[in-house]
Amino acid sequence: MIRDITLGQYYPGNSWIHQLDARVKIIWTFVYIISLFLIQDFWGYLIILATLGLIVGVSKVPPSFMLRGLKPIFLIIVFTFTINMFMTKGTPLIEIGFLTITREGFRNALFMGTRLVLLIIGSSLLTLVTKPINLTDGIEKLLSPGQKIGIPAHELAMMMTIALRFIPTLLEETDKIMKAQMARGADFESGNIMKRAKSLIPLLVPLFISAFRIAQDLAMAMEARCYRGGSHRTRMNGIKLKKKDAVALAFTAIYLFAVILQGQGIYKMLL
Amino acid sequence: MQVEVKNLTHIYSEGTPYESVALTDVSFEIGEGEFVGIIGHTGSGKSTLIQHLNGLLKPKSGKILVDGVDITGKDVKMSDIRRKIGLVFQYPEYQLFEETVRKDVAFGPLNLGLAQEEAEKRAEEAIRLVGLDYEEIADRSPFELSGGQKRRVAIAGVLAMQPELLILDEPTAGLDPKAHADVLDMIVRIHETSKNSIILVSHNMGDIARLSDKVLVMDRGRLILTGTPSEVFRQAELLESLGLALPPPAQMMRDLRAAGVPVSADILTIEEAEEELYRLLTAAKTDN
Amino acid sequence: MRNTKFLIQAAIIAAVYAVLTIVLMPFSYGVMQVRVSEALTVLPFFTPAAIPGLFVGCLVSNMLGPYGLMDMVFGSGATLIAAVCSYCLRKRPLLVPLPPVVANGVIIGSMLYFAYEVPLPLYACMLWVAAGELIACYGLGYPLLRMLQKYKKIFELH
Repeated sequence: MIRDITLGQYYPGNSWIHQLDARVKIIWTFVYIISLFLIQDFWGYLIILATLGLIVGVSKVPPSFMLRGLKPIFLIIVFTFTINMFMTKGTPLIEIGFLTITREGFRNALFMGTRLVLLIIGSSLLTLVTKPINLTDGIEKLLSPGQKIGIPAHELAMMMTIALRFIPTLLEETDKIMKAQMARGADFESGNIMKRAKSLIPLLVPLFISAFRIAQDLAMAMEARCYRGGSHRTRMNGIKLKKKDAVALAFTAIYLFAVILQGQGIYKMLL
Repeated sequence: MQVEVKNLTHIYSEGTPYESVALTDVSFEIGEGEFVGIIGHTGSGKSTLIQHLNGLLKPKSGKILVDGVDITGKDVKMSDIRRKIGLVFQYPEYQLFEETVRKDVAFGPLNLGLAQEEAEKRAEEAIRLVGLDYEEIADRSPFELSGGQKRRVAIAGVLAMQPELLILDEPTAGLDPKAHADVLDMIVRIHETSKNSIILVSHNMGDIARLSDKVLVMDRGRLILTGTPSEVFRQAELLESLGLALPPPAQMMRDLRAAGVPVSADILTIEEAEEELYRLLTAAKTDN
Repeated sequence: MRNTKFLIQAAIIAAVYAVLTIVLMPFSYGVMQVRVSEALTVLPFFTPAAIPGLFVGCLVSNMLGPYGLMDMVFGSGATLIAAVCSYCLRKRPLLVPLPPVVANGVIIGSMLYFAYEVPLPLYACMLWVAAGELIACYGLGYPLLRMLQKYKKIFELH
């Protein structure tokens, strides 16, 4: 049952995008998200869509994977769209019974809806083209200047790495415990919220105990190999910025600039 | 109770890139009060098979008839199955969670819908049945116990449900020789007392040879061989090709035969080996 | 030795959080986010390692889930703030599950309102999220706290 779950969103590939440094990809994603809130009208979406399309194309990730990220919030999108469409006041466009769709409503619904969709697609792109372990390294490197003001970047990255390593192990444990309790008649599937909550105790307690047992063993193993922690540790595969990373960063800067200009209406003026 | 497995097939992750066939066309029967041993290399499908028997997994095709009722059918209630068929997983002590031993063992019966008093009564019976001192242990936390004790408590948890068929997946895994022997003695005792059917999955050929009425040999999802222990362990070459060993006494006899010593091919247990060697040595003596 | 143990405890808490989020996926990433893993927000009651542990757990869950950067930042941030507050409240078990309800309600609610522009009033967004958290934290988290109190030994860093 649990075997069937593939961990994480990573779509394997070797595209130019895949090969970029994780830090660059994180920075790009931040810029992208900010850019979505800088544009004021539909023309701005042209820039964003074109750029997104370019990136998705180069990354060779199938569009169907991009749309997967929309499934969980499909309802929010529909909800947003509908409310905006019917509830905005303004010049009426269509009347259906006692519901009115106004011009403004229609425009708003489309605008907000598109933004939401682009937001989700763009931000889920990060995890599609970056392996969790590289993402962790990237976060650590980006946060490491923060060590000076007390942010334990290395320790956090270490925790993330260990957590990622142990998730499959604990998934197996969870599966075993669930099955063992089910064999004793436990029922995790039926009943109302409160009942289901109670039924999770026979799962959570043994899971915890197992998890901490594993923690003990791991601590001993790390100690035995003289792990002392700290940021002066070296890595086996150093991550260095390459030329393509510089190109990508430059691209990001230009993109941001273009969007800011668009938001200020510069293009309209020029035309 | 009678259990008939017919043409069981199971595929994991069907339709995904991770699809793998776990069981192919497995059929066998378990008679009233039988002690069945299942052996097979890791990955042969033993775990998958036993999980079908108590309804944890549903097959892609095939049937499992328990006293004539097909438990793979849609309308079958899981609790009805688990009432009759109990499954003890490997390292069952990892399933313990309650505050006291008594409460943990009573968990199963309570889930079956028994009243608190009845459940606790069954818990007491089960705890005694596994050879633990009830008065001493009932109110202690399961986490204070030793590994061997924890395992017994976990097994008691399943016994308290009084299944007609008890399935044990490597119940002696990780135990030292004495605890190993104790657990096996306990299983035999349970079998004799409750007269239930038992399925024992194990890598220990000696145990399987000694205790089983019938042995099933699994390999890569298929049931390769069925028979009495003698019948199965005679097929030394086949077993070897499947990566399985013989019970040590049988292996020793085989090695002796290969060296030209005329010992019987039908030896399975230490006692039989001892007798055979005694016979051989005294015969040689009288010849001289 | 203490430091290594602390780090690993935190990592394991993070892993358990992520595992619970993944296993109960339909509930974890949908509109009504009743994340069972949020029941773990009672852990600061037992050990300060739960503060980074829950933070990292949330981070990793969002990394492995379909949402992306927004949730990673805001969700994890809310969890971190809540964990610190829960730790400070650890003398009063009944109050321990409260900070996550408030923090997530306010922060995630705001995120939904401002960023996702859910067309409901701000307070409605916050209440919506807080409701889901309430069920997870008090409905499951508090009983879990009571239960685990008996097994306090496992959290000790000897």
